[in-house]
Amino acid sequence: MSDHTRYQDDIGAYLLGALNDLERQAFERHLTGCSECRDELERLRPAADALPGSVVQLDPSPGLKQRLMAEVEGDSKVVPLEPHRRRPTRLLAVAAVLLLGIVVGFGVAQLGGDDSRTVTATVAKAMPQAGGNLEISGDDGTLRLHDMPDLGGARVYQVWYQHDEQLVPARTFEVGRSGMGTVELRNVESADGVFVTREARGGAQVPSEDPIVSVPL
Amino acid sequence: MAHDIRDLADEEVMQLVQRGDPRAFELLYDRHGGAAYSLAYRIVGKQATAEDVVQEALLSIWRSRLRYDQTRGSVRNWILGIVRNRAIDGLRRSSVHDRRREPFEGFEERFEARERTDVEVARREEARTVRGALQTLPDEQRQTIELAYFGGFTHTQIAELLHEPVGTVKGRMRLGLDKMRRQLVEGVA
Repeated sequence: MSDHTRYQDDIGAYLLGALNDLERQAFERHLTGCSECRDELERLRPAADALPGSVVQLDPSPGLKQRLMAEVEGDSKVVPLEPHRRRPTRLLAVAAVLLLGIVVGFGVAQLGGDDSRTVTATVAKAMPQAGGNLEISGDDGTLRLHDMPDLGGARVYQVWYQHDEQLVPARTFEVGRSGMGTVELRNVESADGVFVTREARGGAQVPSEDPIVSVPL
Repeated sequence: MAHDIRDLADEEVMQLVQRGDPRAFELLYDRHGGAAYSLAYRIVGKQATAEDVVQEALLSIWRSRLRYDQTRGSVRNWILGIVRNRAIDGLRRSSVHDRRREPFEGFEERFEARERTDVEVARREEARTVRGALQTLPDEQRQTIELAYFGGFTHTQIAELLHEPVGTVKGRMRLGLDKMRRQLVEGVA
């Protein structure tokens, strides 16, 4: 039996979660190079995706939602800056410049004709080639960074919004080997600043380091 | 921009969740919490355990919300996949007897979700349709699929349970899914 035939037989078991870890990893490696198996997987996927909906539909107790939302509400309180970071917005940005030895200054370039503007990002001295900007249009923005170090699999970059003296966790992103990162940011116009740190995969609720990218607004 | 988040599609609501909006997360619970609980109950068979599974799974979703990748499937499938895996993790620590349980349709129907909203009506209708497709499979295909998906057994464990070759079991899984797909997607019985 060829490798391909063997893996083709695994497609149903894979979709049903019935391969052991080693088999699943081997199958996924095969998938990356086999369009025939990928096509067959996607063809059968709707059937597997429908299975959870096949069960008798029941109501959980109201207490479940109450317990869950109590935990969520507790988690979602914004993160106050630690005492040593508790300072006005512009001072925070200036402090970051002094602390990290920023090599790219920050400035604001107004684009004419509409309500968009582009703010240059400041980056840490440890990344001499890196740079980027935040383009804001209306309420939302796009952060574009280049020549950022690839953090590999364990760590990711994370964006933070600053509101007054609080840092609010936002999206994580990776740059890959290209070093390019593009992140869409919603409602960024109301923030006092945007920062980027390096965090464990999955993101953090509190930044673990001083920002390596700063965009004062 | 929509004025009411209830008008947003799941993927748009998920963007708000990723920004840490608890109201958006509550909306996702309202939309999919019932399906998540029903799935967990089908797998673990006990109300309190099923609620624990859903609470743990949804809390992990909230806390790892930034991992959601829209290109890898719908929000609903992502949520139900995590609930299923969490329920199976618990089940794998229990006895084979518990894991082979068949759904107690008569018992469960008495507690079936009340049809209070359009969403719940649609949820029950979808369940009947998919259940109907599953029931039309040859018994050995249906049993193999249910043991894998709801029982958490691997194909080699199912082969041992049913005293069948591994290749036969894998074949039943694939053929069964193909037949279900033809019914659900193409409407071919």
